[in-house]
Amino acid sequence: MDFVTMNILESTMVSICREMGIVLMKTSYSTIFNEALDFTCGIADMNGDMIAVADYCPAQIGGMPLLVQSCLKEISVSEMEDGDIIVHNDPYRGGLHTPEHTFFKPIFVDNEIMGFAVAIGHIAEVGGTAPGGFCGEATEIFHEGLRIPPVKIKKRGQDNVEVWKLLLANVRTPRANYGDLRALIAAVDLGEKQMIGVYKKYGKHKVKETVNDLLLYSERRMRAELEAIPDGIYSFADYVESDGIVADRTYTIAVEVHKTGGNIVVDYTGSSPQAAGPINATLGVSTSAAYNAVLHMTDPSIPRNSGCFRPIRVVAPPGTIVNVDFPAPEVGGNTETHPRMVGSILGAMSKAVPNRVMAAEGATHCNFVFGGVDALSGEYFACYDLEGVGWGGRAFADGNDAVDSINGNCRITPTEVYETRFPWRIESLAFNVDSGGAGQYRGGLGYSKQMLCLNEEITCSQMTDRHLFAPWGLEGGGEGGLGATLVMKNGGTQWQTMREAYGKTSTSRFSNITIRKGDRVRLVTPGGGGYGDPADRTQEALATDVREGYVSPEAAKKLYGSPEA
Amino acid sequence: MKFSQNGLYIESYNKCTNCGSLIYDNSAKDKQQEVVQDGKHFCSQWCVDWKARRDLRRAAPVQAIE
Repeated sequence: MDFVTMNILESTMVSICREMGIVLMKTSYSTIFNEALDFTCGIADMNGDMIAVADYCPAQIGGMPLLVQSCLKEISVSEMEDGDIIVHNDPYRGGLHTPEHTFFKPIFVDNEIMGFAVAIGHIAEVGGTAPGGFCGEATEIFHEGLRIPPVKIKKRGQDNVEVWKLLLANVRTPRANYGDLRALIAAVDLGEKQMIGVYKKYGKHKVKETVNDLLLYSERRMRAELEAIPDGIYSFADYVESDGIVADRTYTIAVEVHKTGGNIVVDYTGSSPQAAGPINATLGVSTSAAYNAVLHMTDPSIPRNSGCFRPIRVVAPPGTIVNVDFPAPEVGGNTETHPRMVGSILGAMSKAVPNRVMAAEGATHCNFVFGGVDALSGEYFACYDLEGVGWGGRAFADGNDAVDSINGNCRITPTEVYETRFPWRIESLAFNVDSGGAGQYRGGLGYSKQMLCLNEEITCSQMTDRHLFAPWGLEGGGEGGLGATLVMKNGGTQWQTMREAYGKTSTSRFSNITIRKGDRVRLVTPGGGGYGDPADRTQEALATDVREGYVSPEAAKKLYGSPEA
Repeated sequence: MKFSQNGLYIESYNKCTNCGSLIYDNSAKDKQQEVVQDGKHFCSQWCVDWKARRDLRRAAPVQAIE
């Protein structure tokens, strides 16, 4: 292997992917792209294997190979021409969930396809029952938005106008969607252009050969990491609290991790049959979750590409909550079920490598989505936004406070931007005291965000979790704090759950409630579980916790046994 | 996964009984590797063997590390 060229080429391609992301961020219309960065950009080879990716969204990174390869089974390389761009979001054909749109553009060099520039992004408004794309009470895919099979949105460099018209006619915010789709196209255009430069600089043969070496190098390094983990079968189960449709029913995510030498098989057999409501994950999600968990447990300097995924095999039985069958709903699988699957794998592996995992994190993106007609402009607006949670404590450090869940790596939209773009006033945004699970290493904190509605009406939906089952601790650590979604009607004095206020089946999954001017909504996000015996937390760390307001004096005495804090 | 004769829509989704991956009717590679056993479809012999081993293990459980 020519390690020098390989390192230069790998760094170049990752840099190209980062540039693609910057273009997407800077030219998109929706805050989910330009603030939250809910997208991923990568490069694939002509077989659909991922050869480079920037450090954006783990859910999309792990999903990219199956997404592209699924498209190639329907639109083969021989049917592509220079200047084509393909789009799809179909969750049943390698997709993650309906909002996630994959764009890929073939890279032609001297009339030969060398690979693809890929951009995957979460489109905020996709039609369907609920504005913002998360119908918490969906019972079939047709409630969840427009499903796009692999189609060419551009042909030979020209817009495929009929496809554009169809896409924009079926969403509430065509202007914003048009801008976001153009941003995704700009990203793959840039990726294609930059990669052509790479091929011309190094020559097609050299790049192909070096990329093959790079994938092999990643594979070898991943296998070496896996070989250092004790062989065995490690099992764990976690529970999703509701599907939004059937009252008082939980759903099991069961996992067995088989570690043998340099190979690992993640087997989800034993997980619940698929639910009536939209908590089901697709095969793309289950695969991505397995990759995500393994990447978190292994050396982060291993180049991220399909090579490092080769030692990982995923078994996700069809018709279950981890591999949904058509036409059951699935929108929550990518945001809510994925992090629970990762948590289950980390929970299983805590018996093998306790120093490489963390206690349970909040494992929800909160997904409070909404839409309405802006009073000033008369234009329809829709928002998909996400909130941070506390991460689990680890063998060597506290959990992260208020960070997007493990499959996201997205940013939280700043209050100033939120208030400018949407008719809400953020009255408070603050950490929740004592929400981090007690431990030698404390769980990370969740937070509360209180919002006042300024519009005559806003239609709101949500798809979240952790209202009933708290994030678990490890090695004697305590549970993290629960989440909640509360509403106080204008003139009222009591906070109510959505079940109390609107008669919804679930407090954490609902669709299309009307919030009116003067009503308030409070979003409470969960904290992370603690790691280790709280009695072993240093007095210095505990004193800091109390001084900073992370832990109350009462909790310091009760949970940590501190005589005075 | 089976397309309609006119290729415009999907008639059925055919998934591996074990791993859940889609088996495409129009893929020569998928059809070559597909195994049908007792009326159930598997994407490969590996999945047939894996399911058999798992069923055996769970019927007479070996002490898993808990």
